[in-house]
Amino acid sequence: MKNDNNVSRKIIILVIVLVLAFLGGREFYEIRHFKQSIIVSDSFTKRFMLSDYSEGIKGTWADTPVYLYDSGEPGGSMLLLGGTHPYEPATMLAAYVAAENISVKKGKVYIIPAANYSAMTLGILGNAYPKYYTLDTEWGSKKFRIGDRNTNPLDQWPDPFTYVHYPSTQNLAYQDIRNLNRTYPGRPDGALTERLSYAIMELIRRESIDLYVDMHEASLMYPVVSTYVAHDRSLDICMMASMTLSAEQFPIKCEASPKGLRGLSHREVGDFSNTLAVLIETAEPFIDRVAGRITEELMVTGKDEFLQTASEAGLLYCQPEYDIDFGVPIQYRVGRHLSATMEAIKWMNEFFPEKELIVDFPLFADLMEKGAGYFLNDPEKADENKLFYN
Amino acid sequence: MLFLSEVIHQIYFVMAALFALLLLRGLFKRKTRKTLIYDIVYAYSIIPFLLRALHIK
Repeated sequence: MKNDNNVSRKIIILVIVLVLAFLGGREFYEIRHFKQSIIVSDSFTKRFMLSDYSEGIKGTWADTPVYLYDSGEPGGSMLLLGGTHPYEPATMLAAYVAAENISVKKGKVYIIPAANYSAMTLGILGNAYPKYYTLDTEWGSKKFRIGDRNTNPLDQWPDPFTYVHYPSTQNLAYQDIRNLNRTYPGRPDGALTERLSYAIMELIRRESIDLYVDMHEASLMYPVVSTYVAHDRSLDICMMASMTLSAEQFPIKCEASPKGLRGLSHREVGDFSNTLAVLIETAEPFIDRVAGRITEELMVTGKDEFLQTASEAGLLYCQPEYDIDFGVPIQYRVGRHLSATMEAIKWMNEFFPEKELIVDFPLFADLMEKGAGYFLNDPEKADENKLFYN
Repeated sequence: MLFLSEVIHQIYFVMAALFALLLLRGLFKRKTRKTLIYDIVYAYSIIPFLLRALHIK
């Protein structure tokens, strides 16, 4: 009789646990399969998958949509990347704002809003990070996913004890084999993230991309925050862009890509193609280790009292200096990215007139005046030929 | 290399399923630590292995 009771008890516990597993699992499933609407601008030409350039990622979660805006007028070309690290979501938002509002008058622009799509399909481990943030728009609110830094372990696992970067053979941290910004230039038969890097390189090489812009966000305690990082060939462009922006709009530093740090886009993309490789960093309080409660509000406003204390102690590297009254709001970060990209284009046009690219999209002043949500269109009222889900 | 890496990757899912089954067996058939608290521990320990085996987390 007692044995029967024990079995019943175990079954009841098991059922409760399965219900909990279902409830938790449903959240993980939702973030894995969440789709972001994107309503492309009038300059849109076509959408294709990155695997068109390398079979190695076809049918995997690393394959990601590419949006092409071709003016039909011969000129320069640019590849704009958001979401290399999806836990830096202002980069993806900047790509969405550009994709929904861009006008290309000369040359062509390729936009990849979620460069590491797989890394966007899970949340950040630990610290109770929220999975989404919400923006107010003219037509209601819009939800955005906050992903992780590295490729989802469901798609690439296990990590090696030491990651040996190809082709330099430099030893890197084991988890960086799932970090898109440590696996360039990649290889067609490597780990999934290496194959993803290779596919991006193939797009750059085959389409003779003139300017490559990789958008990132950094913690405020990281010295490379609020910075252009430029490959040797793009250093002049970025130095001029940095000086112009700092004098006229907002302070932004410029650094030369170190030759000894392998796998990073600003180094390898420039070394293994003819493009002008540029990486841009803004400040993201959300990923600082000293920040207080990690909330959706912190993601959107960037206001945190612990960061203010760190700022007063001189521990932060962001420019301008952190001020809790202003914070680092998401429209500010998106605006910085878009204006920094535009300034790089302008200076490329100055230095290399044969690569002239004439584009228009919302800039820093527009974002600060109207907010990021203003530039996002309503999917319910969109022309179905222009509506995509990413 | 691609094939080998895919095989190793899939083995991890199979391992997760096996661990889930072992824990399930332990929940019902174990000989020691038969109290309620151990029933709960065995049962909730199944969750991460189950979610991994189902390619959810």
